[in-house]
Amino acid sequence: MTVAAGIGYALVALGPSLSLFVSVISRKPFLILTVLSSTLLWLVSLIILSGLWRPFLPLKANVWWPYALLVVTSVCFQEGLRFLFWKVYKRLEDVLDSFADRISRPRLFLTDKLQIALAGGLGHGVAHAVFFCLSLLTPAFGPATFYVERCSKVPFFLISAIIALAFVTIHTFSMVIAFEGYAKGNRVDQVIVPVIHLAAGMLTLVNFASEGCVIGVPLLYLVASLTLVHCGKMVWQRLLETRNQSSASR
Amino acid sequence: MDRNQRPRSIIDSLGEELIAILTPVSICMFTVVLLVCILNSDPSSSSSASFSSIATAAYSESDSDSSWDKFVGAFLNSLVFVAAITVATFVLVLLFYLRCVKFLKFYMGFSAFIVLANLGGEILVLLIDRFRFPIDCITFLILLFNFSVVGVFAVFMSKFSILVTQGYLVWIGVLVAYFFTLLPEWTTWVLLVALALYDIAAVLLPVGPLRLLVEMAISRDEDIPALVYEARPVIRNDSRLVQRRVWRERRSGQNDNDDVENRTNRNEVVRVVRSAEVDEEHVGSSERAEIYVPLIDRRPDQAENSETFLEGIGLGSSGAIKLGLGDFIFYSVLVGRAAMYDLMTVYACYLAIIAGLGITLMLLSVYQKALPALPVSIMLGVVFYFLARLLLEVFVVQCSSNLVMF
Repeated sequence: MTVAAGIGYALVALGPSLSLFVSVISRKPFLILTVLSSTLLWLVSLIILSGLWRPFLPLKANVWWPYALLVVTSVCFQEGLRFLFWKVYKRLEDVLDSFADRISRPRLFLTDKLQIALAGGLGHGVAHAVFFCLSLLTPAFGPATFYVERCSKVPFFLISAIIALAFVTIHTFSMVIAFEGYAKGNRVDQVIVPVIHLAAGMLTLVNFASEGCVIGVPLLYLVASLTLVHCGKMVWQRLLETRNQSSASR
Repeated sequence: MDRNQRPRSIIDSLGEELIAILTPVSICMFTVVLLVCILNSDPSSSSSASFSSIATAAYSESDSDSSWDKFVGAFLNSLVFVAAITVATFVLVLLFYLRCVKFLKFYMGFSAFIVLANLGGEILVLLIDRFRFPIDCITFLILLFNFSVVGVFAVFMSKFSILVTQGYLVWIGVLVAYFFTLLPEWTTWVLLVALALYDIAAVLLPVGPLRLLVEMAISRDEDIPALVYEARPVIRNDSRLVQRRVWRERRSGQNDNDDVENRTNRNEVVRVVRSAEVDEEHVGSSERAEIYVPLIDRRPDQAENSETFLEGIGLGSSGAIKLGLGDFIFYSVLVGRAAMYDLMTVYACYLAIIAGLGITLMLLSVYQKALPALPVSIMLGVVFYFLARLLLEVFVVQCSSNLVMF
């Protein structure tokens, strides 16, 4: 429904990430590069998954268990890739630290590491929003709108933008949790991230029921806010610890 | 939570030069995609149907031909085009060898003027038509003429504000790229691949014209007269950004351990291209060769492992990165052609091209000699386009039209 609506839907999905980008990420060129590379990684994982599933598509419209299988395999694959991403980041961190030592600059601060994790998560989230929401938005710039029967109260574009926003939040902040979990060897954090991702993916299957999105989407937002809260708590604790450590050592 | 006067961390300034070159490339691609979406949204308009140039001299595609015919025709088209470019590049090498540098500079200015006035005028007329913007001929011509003349001066006089020069170079890239996207589809893809292969041959083979050009320029320590985008390096003075005007002095061998930003010892990174020929839509017989010749060239430095790794992706030093306008153009052609299919392919191709650019810089740090900038990005872009079109689209549309996402 016109350009204004199209831009509106795009901003619903990507508005918070845009403001995060402008305020935090765009100040440090290294973070922009991190966002780009994690977006690329997510795209490659999506291409591999679509290659694997191509022979089985198109799936029948009303049966939900092939979709469940699809979601489970995709989430497992992407979580595996997240671990790989962390391994690469660990190597990069060592390189950066030795570079900093050589030019007699301080090593990476905790906030730097958290920001890099945030940038990585933002890359994943933005890639999700672009591929699952924005790429389908082109008709929304025209004069009409579109409804699907499963969720007939809300235009398709709006509901997919809302779901994409929830997923952007989940991806962005679960990367921070995951990186801290892997760095500290904290089992709870390491396990909670795949669980959240899987739960969120499964919750979208609720949309299969007729008018299921009335239940599915609020539950999805519940998961997203849980992720946010957990991430916030974890980061706060770590920052307090570090400050106590540094003031104790002075 | 943090102390207020924290010393600046290294990730504050790492990667600046790379971002300084990625930003204009992204702006150019974004503008071309925008133009393609705006101007091609009406499929019945005739403005895009009749683009004839040297690139369609051998075969003009029509919908009724079979795939094999289209492929053979596209192949012939790109052979003709690459042959024409090779001839033009050899002429350029010959002129440079005979030290006709002034003639080359005048020719550059002339072709920049023609691109800005003619192609720019056509695009603006199309835009005015599309948006029903009320403007009369005389005002339009005066404004266009002034704009083009300022552009020619901006591109060739170094005393202009750097932002204006960079803006004009990006705009020239956008104009030429938009017109290349009007070529028929098969021709565009085969042409891009052919140009990538030509680039490898021209730069790496010993008889390649671009390699000869680079070697002559290095041996005479001169600039090649060409349209090249340069991202000026930036020095921070007490957290204020100061753009350095004079950056071409190469102080080799300096090893400054105090401050990353004060290193000027490396990196004239310049990139290789080829000459592109653009023919007019209505004036079929005249040919113009616009020569965009960037090179990749590096002064080798100490080769510590981590530092070379950081250098290689353009993170280590504060030298300027120069990228030729031809690279801008052909990246944008690829992305513009992807935009004619769908936005998903646009994003996939954009990421592929950026990744290719990063890989090229890394290869540069390993090989330490002139390298072609097109092949890796174009190959990755073409591969990702076909993967996205054939595999990704079905998968994603299946999932999201059923509101199943992960």
